[in-house]
Amino acid sequence: MIRTLLRVLGHEYAQPVRRTVALMTTTAVAEGLSYALLVPVLRALFGGNPGDAWPWLIAFGAAVVVYAVLRYGSDLSGFRVGTTLLRGMYHRLGDHLARLPLGWYSAARVGEVSVLASNGVLQSMSVIAHLLAPFISACVTPLTVAVVMLVFNWQMGLAALAAAPVVVAIQVWTGRAMAAQDAERAERDHEATGRVIEYLQAQPVLRAGGRTGERFRLLDDSLTELQRASRRTVLSALPGVVALTFVVQAVFTVLLVLGASLALGGHIGAAEVLAILVLAARCADPLLSLSDIGGKLRGARSELVRLDAVLRTEPLPEAPNPVRPTSHDVEFDSVTFRHGDRTVIDGVSLSVPQGQRLAVVGPSGSGKSTLLQLLARFFDVDAGAVRVGGVDVRVVDSEVLMSQIAIVFQEVHLFDGTIEENVRLGRPDADDAEVRAAATAARLDEVVERLPGGWSANVGEGGALLSGGERQRVSIARALLKNAPIVLLDEVTSALDPLNEAAVHEGIERLMAGRTVVMVAHRLRTVQRADRIVFLDGGRIVEEGTHDDLLRRGGRYADFWNMSVASVVQ
Amino acid sequence: MPPAADPEAGQRLAGLLRPHLRSFAAVVLLQVIGAVAGLAPLLAVVELGRALLSPGPVDRGHVWFVVIGGAVGLFVRLLFTAAASGVGHLLDDRVQLSFRRRLAERLGRVPIGWFSRRRTGELAKVVGDDVRAVHPFIAHAPGELVAAFVVPLVSLVYLFTVDWRLTLITLIPVLLAVALVPLMMTPTRLREQEEFDAAMGRIASSVVEFVQGISVVKAFGGRDRAQRRFRTAVDGFVSSFFRMVRGLSGVAAGMQVALSPPFVLLVMLVGGATLITSGGMAPADLLPFLVLGLGLTAPVAALGHGFDDLQTARRAVGRIRDVLAVQALPEPARPAVPRGHRVELRDVRFGYDADHEVLRGIDLVLEPGTVTAIVGRSGSGKSTLVQLLPRFFDPTSGSVVLGGVDLREIGGQELYRTVSFVFQDVRLLRASVADNIALAVPHADLDDVVRAARLANIHDRILELPRGYDTVLGDEAALSGGEAQRISIARALLADAPVLVLDEATAFADPQTEQAVRQALTTLGGERTVLVIAHRLETVADADTVVVLEDGQIVERGRPADLLAQNGKFAAFWRTHSGGPQGGEPR
Repeated sequence: MIRTLLRVLGHEYAQPVRRTVALMTTTAVAEGLSYALLVPVLRALFGGNPGDAWPWLIAFGAAVVVYAVLRYGSDLSGFRVGTTLLRGMYHRLGDHLARLPLGWYSAARVGEVSVLASNGVLQSMSVIAHLLAPFISACVTPLTVAVVMLVFNWQMGLAALAAAPVVVAIQVWTGRAMAAQDAERAERDHEATGRVIEYLQAQPVLRAGGRTGERFRLLDDSLTELQRASRRTVLSALPGVVALTFVVQAVFTVLLVLGASLALGGHIGAAEVLAILVLAARCADPLLSLSDIGGKLRGARSELVRLDAVLRTEPLPEAPNPVRPTSHDVEFDSVTFRHGDRTVIDGVSLSVPQGQRLAVVGPSGSGKSTLLQLLARFFDVDAGAVRVGGVDVRVVDSEVLMSQIAIVFQEVHLFDGTIEENVRLGRPDADDAEVRAAATAARLDEVVERLPGGWSANVGEGGALLSGGERQRVSIARALLKNAPIVLLDEVTSALDPLNEAAVHEGIERLMAGRTVVMVAHRLRTVQRADRIVFLDGGRIVEEGTHDDLLRRGGRYADFWNMSVASVVQ
Repeated sequence: MPPAADPEAGQRLAGLLRPHLRSFAAVVLLQVIGAVAGLAPLLAVVELGRALLSPGPVDRGHVWFVVIGGAVGLFVRLLFTAAASGVGHLLDDRVQLSFRRRLAERLGRVPIGWFSRRRTGELAKVVGDDVRAVHPFIAHAPGELVAAFVVPLVSLVYLFTVDWRLTLITLIPVLLAVALVPLMMTPTRLREQEEFDAAMGRIASSVVEFVQGISVVKAFGGRDRAQRRFRTAVDGFVSSFFRMVRGLSGVAAGMQVALSPPFVLLVMLVGGATLITSGGMAPADLLPFLVLGLGLTAPVAALGHGFDDLQTARRAVGRIRDVLAVQALPEPARPAVPRGHRVELRDVRFGYDADHEVLRGIDLVLEPGTVTAIVGRSGSGKSTLVQLLPRFFDPTSGSVVLGGVDLREIGGQELYRTVSFVFQDVRLLRASVADNIALAVPHADLDDVVRAARLANIHDRILELPRGYDTVLGDEAALSGGEAQRISIARALLADAPVLVLDEATAFADPQTEQAVRQALTTLGGERTVLVIAHRLETVADADTVVVLEDGQIVERGRPADLLAQNGKFAAFWRTHSGGPQGGEPR
């Protein structure tokens, strides 16, 4: 557990964690040892001369003070370490997630990681803060007490110590038996969370189908499955709990019987046997709590294992000696890219000279967007090379590469903040005038005017309070502000409102002027005016040339163009 | 929109528990019997002590009787507590399921508008984590807390009969600990807890936002900034966590020390020794205190120990109750059936916030067999207007009338059978393609599904998927945006509802989707009432009525040709767009 934790966190946290564990162990030992003083105290009180108890009581008092100080210290230390670990874990996760290739982020992953990062981290860390001390105390104090018993009476001490390996064995066995159940339950949990999110986001559609509440089978099934998994977990945990209880109680019974017979045989004094039985009774509860604590620790560990899996995912390698591209031409050299076992890009070679425009056209799923993503190194190619300014993107520092490229995505993600903040993301050090200028160029000023709160209007989670067209304009403004030499456009006007399409075109024209452009589009007037067009299907280039060439050729592109233009005014 | 208070929410929560009362009672009973039986071995130690310490020869028979009694008590305890725990946890699972179902059912009835103001993550947390956090209430509180009070009570009574003075002394640590409890409940502490809770919600959204936005962030080379932002959120969260912990930890640690066995033992021993040396108490009477006295701290320890969990559970229940208290779109008590499918909007006003109206007095009639096209700039209220038809919201004032009946008087099922829609924001379910298409018509046969898919231009693409129509989307295959939109067109085609609401922006995904939308509009002619947010001039030209929306008001309406002749806003719009090679002529 601790080992996994330290691996997940990195070893700079080893020191404080070990110190805390050591402090907690010392506290538990101190508690156990202080009980040893019970024997002389009781011997005096139960013997002929109760007054002899006082010096021993004073010693016990001193021991309690030592214990209290240690206890206080270890409690605080536990909290502090828990908080530090929490912070460390979040930072490490945040840093790591930012370095993972974008190809890693599928929709399912995003959901999974969100849950893991919010709950998983918290759960595992709070276990450290709250349960580590009780766990250590529940293990160490009874052990110390058993050793104390051994000193006063070897038979009873041995009987008590004999329980230790059995308790350990039960804990280990339960842990193994539960691991599978816990994993299944966690899986159901994730599944159910996914379904809940889907259910919430798909409400409009679901209502249209009259499928809400218990009538929505997919959600209800996963909730029921979750309940079943949870029940199986409970049922499979029960034997462990019962066995532990049984062992602890059996040992107590043995001690009771042994004590009685030893005392009756006169082999041990009444005070000793009573003190030992009092201590044994004292040990039962912490030992019994082990099964409860064990369950929670297992839960935390499985979260840690999942976190570990995320943190072990390799980010794209950074070049040791990065090269800075000096020009802005773009080249694909026999590029092949596979996603799983599907070949998305299949031996594509093309080049765009600096300052020219390339349009990529093709049916859905032909790999158009992937082409753009490879250029921006969202993934690394499986074969061939993608070059910017003649330099393989893999040897360019990723921040430098990104500074060369402005992308306008098909789907625009806005952060929950103001419009201004969202535009400024394009170039954080831009001054206000520049931000406003970019926004005006993208016709965002109209949107701002309309919104209550203007520039400081909040756009909501994922930009939910803006329409699709408005979000798109924010994205164009960002790209304008960024002012990068290479521009990638992915279906830019797809969501745009025709009333402003012309205006946005202005913005896009401005964005493209003098820059190297690769655009994925099917409706843009600018497709016609691109210097070259490639038609992509199944990850291969099937046609390329200028608009007029391709139309004359009467091939795939011509069909495509005619279909889209048949009734559309462009 | 502030959630309208629902006084029934609390009762509803209690009502959810009512069917399980019997099981609760069983858990409590089993636990109490088990716990009280657990006293037997302790009393056996006491009796053993008395026998051994009594002057004169030891009564062997009595000793063995006592030992056997103790062992039997332990066995009974084992049996009953195990049963209580098992039953309690199984009960907990059932209760959680019913809570979740209840929440899902309620969330399926709140106005769609309510969602747009809330974070999906936080709502999912209510259904998932918050319900789970109720666990201690259900599985532990009834049994363990009751036992934690009954056992000490029994012990206390017994100890009083042994020696009342030492009993009072034994209670000193408990009193100390209880005295500390109010320090954990001060307004400052409670505020810190609330802050912490809020911070927890924020950190969850920050994580979600961070993960979801990372592609944009990386694309703009703003990785460091987003990371900083995330780190700031984390540090804010951690510091509020730390504030809460720091506020509580001193008190909590003090409480822990006061209740710790060594301290309690010390207090008892000092008291006992004083009484014994002064001759006020027989030495053997100290024994019951040593074995039972430690148990007296159990309720306070249980309170302290379970305090965090219970507080968490209480807050979780609060959030669950908040969701359950959201006023659902009311279903009519006696649903009326619309006659025909003429749609009328009568002086409809609507605003997401009280101070900002999005629709400002819309009067509009959609005749069956006609296509009405809405044009207007983004933000003019188009999307909101069309969403009133499937009753995503109810108008703030005025009414939407379908077939002579106010939408609010029509049953949900009936309404959705009548009105279908294709909006831009498509959500596919992680279910088979066929299920996704047949969403509104659960018992549609595959032929119909395939026909709709063909019409929507998506059939061929579906056949390319690993298992055709049985392919589970999201698991086995992902569709592009345009493909997803064609699925939603197929949905609408299959639903075959007499009123269709369509956002034509959907068409802009790719040429195939565009063709699908066009096909949908022509196929669905006949007696249908069609309302379309028009983006293509052809659609506008072919429409029977065009409505120009501006700032939540209809500024122009009429036949396209007439409007063009008027030379107003519509004409201006037309001119900016008909510069292309194939500008259709309005009828």
